[in-house]
Amino acid sequence: MQTRWDVGEPHKPTINTRTEQLKSDLLTLNMGPQHPATHGVLRIEIWTDSEIVAHAIPHIGYLHRCMEKHCENLDFRGVIPFVDRLDYLASMNMEWNYAMTIEKMLGTEVPRRAELLRILTCELQRIASHLMAFGTYAIDLGAFSPFLYAFDYREKILRLFEEVSGARLLYNYIWIGGLWNDWSPEQISRVTAFCDDMEEEAKKYHELLSMNKIFIARTAHVGVMSVQDCIDFGATGPILRGAGMKWDLRKNEPYSLYSEFDFDVPVGTGEVGEPGDCWNRYIVRMREVVESIKIIRQVIEKLEPGSIMGKVPKVMKLPEGEVYFRSECPRGELAFHLVTKQDSKEPFRLKVRSPCFTHTSMLPRVAPGQMIADFVATVGSIDIVLGEIDR
Amino acid sequence: MHKELSDLINRNVTGANAVAYLTADAKKFDSSITVETSHIYKVVEFLKTNKTTSFNSLHCISGVDYTDYMEVCYMLTNYDPSAVRNLTLKVRVTDRVNAAIDSVVGQFVSADFLEREVYDMFGIKFNNHPDMRRILCPDDWEGFPLRKDYVAQKDYNGMTVYPDNKMNMEDREFIVRQNMIKKAQAEKAQ
Repeated sequence: MQTRWDVGEPHKPTINTRTEQLKSDLLTLNMGPQHPATHGVLRIEIWTDSEIVAHAIPHIGYLHRCMEKHCENLDFRGVIPFVDRLDYLASMNMEWNYAMTIEKMLGTEVPRRAELLRILTCELQRIASHLMAFGTYAIDLGAFSPFLYAFDYREKILRLFEEVSGARLLYNYIWIGGLWNDWSPEQISRVTAFCDDMEEEAKKYHELLSMNKIFIARTAHVGVMSVQDCIDFGATGPILRGAGMKWDLRKNEPYSLYSEFDFDVPVGTGEVGEPGDCWNRYIVRMREVVESIKIIRQVIEKLEPGSIMGKVPKVMKLPEGEVYFRSECPRGELAFHLVTKQDSKEPFRLKVRSPCFTHTSMLPRVAPGQMIADFVATVGSIDIVLGEIDR
Repeated sequence: MHKELSDLINRNVTGANAVAYLTADAKKFDSSITVETSHIYKVVEFLKTNKTTSFNSLHCISGVDYTDYMEVCYMLTNYDPSAVRNLTLKVRVTDRVNAAIDSVVGQFVSADFLEREVYDMFGIKFNNHPDMRRILCPDDWEGFPLRKDYVAQKDYNGMTVYPDNKMNMEDREFIVRQNMIKKAQAEKAQ
């Protein structure tokens, strides 16, 4: 049986001379649960040999809210606010994936306008989420001003969402069968203006941070995750693309209307550092912002007036069956495994496959041999949101 | 696809007893393959190493409790842009007290955290797992939350779970009033 570590079980030390010797010089250090670099209540137990990390054990569950159990007692529409609270930085994408899962089972046809507006909101949300990742990652590495720039522009997106859905972060906006509210032409024109500004702003970010000498020194060749590692661990999203693999569900298994749009899938090429390191993961996110802007522009071109709500039964009853539906979220592939009973009003089982959960399990693989400061850079670069890990 | 795949498994892994479950409406629902519980490691090994199938990634492990048996679903996928394939592989666990199946960590390292979660939520132990601990709940928590017959413990380390006065009083008065109104209406209707 192949195991990952030769260090023995972390919590029940076995009487093994080799393990004992190894442990004698190590200092256990707790990073978190309240640590600014962990972006939430993540605790990582680090065994350090002076400044070098020998072993890292993530302890999760501080934000566990039993969301999956709650959903078994709610009707299908009532689940949506709970789904919001998974990844609270990309709520729209969470809602959309859930709505698509139910729609697949119901066989609902969503009106074209609603589908286009969903893509518009979710791509805006992707930009907002990546801006947050950009800002907080810079803070992790000791640069404060990128955070202010990022939040300035993120705020513009949140203002738009607030106008259209009534909430800044937890929207309950994408409903089963369509949308709750329509976008007005004035709001759409503001999105266009935002896209123009954001494109210029993204160039500024590259000058400000991406090509900064200190930033490159902190991130290039740090925390390298190879393509094979990513595939073994089931990593998706910017982690996998940063390692150099061209894999995006929007291209490879197009859902919704994504097959109609023309956009590129940015991958880590290793022009700085090497594919799979922190810098390449970061640059993939920043390039995805530009690709999202491309998609948004195409959506606005295609928008036509029409209905925003499909035909959905008042009392929602699903037939017996199960569905595993996945979609590309800012942090990777989110998936819902939904099991229903005949004529059920509530899910029999709703399993959330969270991308951050699998990415966290990669930390013990990359940590050994790193400096503690580099480990902070690695944790930041996988862009953890604890709401999604702990559910 | 599932029918051929289950035949392929049966031919190559003796005793796997793979049965394909095909849905009537493939557009709406997913099909799956159920295999013998004791042979899960061998089947996963075959599906990973075989050239015609080559599922190179384990996307997710999900558990479902159907009260008379529990099911563990392995969502396999392959990251191959030219031929995308997904498969739901299932095993059944009937023993609720000493539920245990073989771990697939030897084939997919991603199973490490995913199996720990299934253990935490359903109480299914995974043999040969390097680090079989609870992952989301505290280590000393009693019971397995996602089982259908789960009852939350009353007391945890001297703290009351679900205390009576947890809700703030104003909300509570509102609910009490609502209940009184409902009761009065019901009496009126009679």
